[in-house]
Amino acid sequence: MTPIVSVLIVFIGFTCLLLVGAMVPQSSARVPTGRGRGSKWWGIAKVGEPTNLIQNTIRGGGIGGSYLEPVVQAVLRKKQQRLVRENRGVLEAIAKGANEAIVECKHQFRNRRWNCPTKAFWRGKNIFGKIVDKGCRETAFLYAITSAAVTHAVVRACSEGAIESCTCDYRLHNKYSRSMSSDQNWKWGSCSDNIEFGYKFSRDFVDAGEKIRDMRGTMNLHNNEAGRMHVQSLMRRQCKCHGMSGSCTMKTCWMRLPNLREVGNSIKDRFDGASRVLISNAGSLRDFGRRTRYKFQLKPYNPDHKPPSKKDLVFFEDSPNFCDKDARYGVSGTVGRACNVSSMGVDGCDLMCCGRGYTVSVKTVVERCKCTFKWCCQVECKNCTVTRTYYTCK
Amino acid sequence: MVLTGMFMLGQLTCFLIGGLIAPKPSTAQYNLCTKCYDSTGNRTRWLYPRGKGACKQLESLDSALQAENVVFTFQVPLPRDNVTLDYTRWQQNLIGILQMDILYSKDSPVEEGAKLLLDARLAYANWKPGRKGQTNWEWYAESIEERVLECTISEKKEGHPYVCELIPLFELGSLHHDFYLLNIRLPVFKNKPHNKGIGIPQDMYLVTIYQNGGFTKVWFSIKTVFTPIVLAALVWFWKRVEAQGRPPVLLEKMILALGVALQFLNIPVEWFTLYFDMPYMLLISDVRQGIFYAALLSFWLVFTGEHLMESSGERSTLRTYWKHLSAVVTGCLALFLFDLCERGAHLANCFYSLWATPVGTRLALALIIAAGVSASLYFMFLCWTMWKVFRNISAKRTTLPAMSAVRRLHYQGIIYRFKFLMLTTLVCAAMTVIGFILGQVTEDKWKWESGNTALEIEYTSAFYTGVYGMWNIYTLALLCLYAPSHKLYPPERDPYASTNSGAEEIEFSRLDTDTTEISALASFAKKAATD
Repeated sequence: MTPIVSVLIVFIGFTCLLLVGAMVPQSSARVPTGRGRGSKWWGIAKVGEPTNLIQNTIRGGGIGGSYLEPVVQAVLRKKQQRLVRENRGVLEAIAKGANEAIVECKHQFRNRRWNCPTKAFWRGKNIFGKIVDKGCRETAFLYAITSAAVTHAVVRACSEGAIESCTCDYRLHNKYSRSMSSDQNWKWGSCSDNIEFGYKFSRDFVDAGEKIRDMRGTMNLHNNEAGRMHVQSLMRRQCKCHGMSGSCTMKTCWMRLPNLREVGNSIKDRFDGASRVLISNAGSLRDFGRRTRYKFQLKPYNPDHKPPSKKDLVFFEDSPNFCDKDARYGVSGTVGRACNVSSMGVDGCDLMCCGRGYTVSVKTVVERCKCTFKWCCQVECKNCTVTRTYYTCK
Repeated sequence: MVLTGMFMLGQLTCFLIGGLIAPKPSTAQYNLCTKCYDSTGNRTRWLYPRGKGACKQLESLDSALQAENVVFTFQVPLPRDNVTLDYTRWQQNLIGILQMDILYSKDSPVEEGAKLLLDARLAYANWKPGRKGQTNWEWYAESIEERVLECTISEKKEGHPYVCELIPLFELGSLHHDFYLLNIRLPVFKNKPHNKGIGIPQDMYLVTIYQNGGFTKVWFSIKTVFTPIVLAALVWFWKRVEAQGRPPVLLEKMILALGVALQFLNIPVEWFTLYFDMPYMLLISDVRQGIFYAALLSFWLVFTGEHLMESSGERSTLRTYWKHLSAVVTGCLALFLFDLCERGAHLANCFYSLWATPVGTRLALALIIAAGVSASLYFMFLCWTMWKVFRNISAKRTTLPAMSAVRRLHYQGIIYRFKFLMLTTLVCAAMTVIGFILGQVTEDKWKWESGNTALEIEYTSAFYTGVYGMWNIYTLALLCLYAPSHKLYPPERDPYASTNSGAEEIEFSRLDTDTTEISALASFAKKAATD
C-alpha cells in the first residue's frame, strides 16, 4: 500500500469516527439526557474524597462563609447553593446523608442482580451511573433513599446543634405568639420538632432541580416525597412520666428519629411492590408554583390497581434485566458475581446468573472471624482458616 | 345561686386560661451527642462542641481510640434560627434522660444485665453582661453512675440497631443558669464488669425535659390570684366559727385544716425561683401537694363519719378516727419517704436514681406498695362508712314523718347536706379522673374547627389549670357553704348573732334559702343527735 492510500484510510476512518462521535450525542438526545438532572447533587458524597482533590471542603470550615468550593458549586444548582450558603453546617449533613444513602443502597441490594454500583472515580457524572437516565424501579429507589437520607441527616445535625439555622417556628393558636421571635417562642412555649425542618429543607434542597412538567420530574418528585414520608412515619413517640413523686400526672413525649437502616428496610419493602404509572399524565400537568407542586395524582398503568399511595415508589419504564453488560445504562452484568446455590430467591444461582450457569471453586482461606468489640474501640478478631466453596456466575 | 354561678364561671375561666393562653406544660428536646476527642484523658477537662475553643470532633469510633479519648458531649439548649438560645429561669426545672444507640453484632451482642458505668459531669455557663459572649464553663455536679443496659432487638442481623430502654440520668430542681454542658465518659477498669458486653455503641441521645416558660407564667398567676381569695375565705370562716361562742366542732376544724392546706399549696413562693437558686423546689411542691391530698382525704373520712347520726352525744375528736386516718398517714408517709429518697437525694447528687440499684428498687417498690395498700384500705374504710351512712339515712327516712317539726328539719338538713357534698365530691373526683384518662389517650391538642378559624385547645394545660382551679373552688365552696350560721335559729342559741357585721349578713343572704338552711344546720350536726 502506498502511503497516500494509508493516509486516505486513516482520514476516512477519522471522519467516520467523527461522524459516529457526532451521531452519539444525537442518538442519546432522543433518549432524553439530563433526565436525572435533579440528582446531580448526589455527587456531594464524593466531594470529600481524596480523588476529588479537596479533603477539607467538608470538614474544616471552608464552607463557613458565602464562598463555596468550585467542586461543590459544580454539583449544586443555584437554589441549592443558596440553601447551603444560608444554612451553616448543612453541607456536611448533606454529604453525610448522601454517603449513608450509598451505603444503605448497597446493603439493601447486595443480593440482587443490580447491586447498586457506584462509580469509583467520580468526574462530575451521576454517581450511580447511567441507570438514573431510565425511569425504572431502581431509579425510584435511588431517589427515595437519597431524599430520605438527607432528611435523616439534617434532622440529626439539628439535634446535634451542628446546623444553627434549624427553625423554631412554634405556632400557638393565638395571635399573640405568632408575632414572637424565635427566642421568645422558645422562652414561652417550645420549638417545633426538628423533623419539620428536616422535611422542609429536604423538599427545598432535593426537589430543587425537578420540574413537574414532564413525566420523569413527576416521578422524581413523588419518589423524593416517598422517601421523606418513610422517615417521618418511622418516627417513634416516646414518653416520660415526671409528675408528683415521678408519677404519670405529668407526662412529656417526644419523637425519636429512626435509624437509617430501618428507613432503608422500609423503602426496600416498597421496591418490589412499586407502582408502574401511566406516562400520559405528563402532558396534562402544569407547574403552578409551590402550592400545587405536590398535588398531582398519578394513575396506575394497570387500571385495576390502586393509585400509588404517598409512601409507594413509582416508575414508568421497565428495568433492564441487568444480566448482560449494557453500556447504555452502565450495567456491568452479573458475570463473575457470587451466588447462593441453595437459594431459590434473587440471590440464588439460577436467577442471579440468568441461566448461564456457574462455576464452583473450593478455596482454603484465612479470614478474620469471631470479631468482638471492646469498648472503646478495639475490634479483636481471630484468624480462622476455613475451606469455602465459591459459586460464581459464568 | 349567685355564688354557685361565680364558682362555675371561675372554673370555666381556669380551664380556658390553661387551654387557650398557656402552652403545653413541658417540652422535651431531643439532643444527639457530639463525640469529642480527648487527647489527654483528663476527666476534669470540659469539652464542648460549640463556641470558642470547641473540641475536636470524632466522625466515627475507630479502633485507634481508647476509652478515655472518647467523650460524649451535650451542650444545651441547641441553637435555633441562628440564635444562641439560653434557658430562662421561667423554665423551672430540667430532666435528662439518656438513650443509647447500639448496633447488633453476632460476636459481641448486648449481654443480659450489662452494666453501663457513666462518668457524668455537668457544667453551667451564663451570658456575660449585655449578652456579649458567655462565661467559662463552671462545675455544677458530677457523679460516676451505674445503670443497667436493657436492649431488645427484633431482627438479629449484623449491623441492625437495638432498641434500648431509656436511662434516667439527672434531674435539676432549678434551672438557674443560661447554658448547661454535659460530658459523659464510659471508663473501663480492669477486673470490673462495667462497660463490657455493651454491644457496639454508636451514639447517645439525651432528652431534656423542661417546663415551658409560658405555662409557668400562667401557673404562677393562677396561684397568685387564688391566694388572697382563699385567705379571705379562711378568715371569714374562722370568724364565723368563733362567733358561735363555743369550741369548734371537729368538722369545722377539718374544713379549716383543708383550707389551710390548700392555702399552703397556693402561696406562690415559686416567685423566688426567679431570683434565687432553689433546687429544693421540686421536693417542696411535692410535699405541699401531698399535704393537701392528705387533708382532703382525711376530710372526706371525717365528713362521712360525722354524718352517721348514731353517735352518743359526746364530741368526737380526731382520736375517734385514728383507725381510718392511720391509713392516710401511712400512705402519705410512704410517699413522702419515697420522695425524700428520690427527689431529696437529687439535692445532694442530681444524677442519683433510686431505681438504679437492686436495693433501691426494692425499697422504692416497698414504699410504693405500702402507699398502694394504705390507699386501698382507705377506700375500703370510706366505702364502708358511706354504706353505713346510707343505711342510716334510709332508716331515718321511714321514721321522719313521726318526728317533731324541728327534729325533722334537722335530719332532713343533715341528709341534704350529706348528699350535696357527696354529689359535688363525686363530680369533682370523676372529672379529675376522666380528664386524666382523656389526657393519657388523646393527643396534646384538641381542635375545634368552625368555619375558617380553627380553635386549638392545649388539652394538658387546660387539664392542669382546670383541676387546680376546681379543687380550689371546691374548698372555697366548703368554706362558704358549710360555715356555721346564726340565722334562722332562736337567738338564745347564738348569743353573738347581734354582734355580726352587716357585711356578713349581706354575703349570707345572697345564698339561696335551701343552702343557707343547710349551712345553718352545720353547727348542729352533733348536737341533739340522739334519736
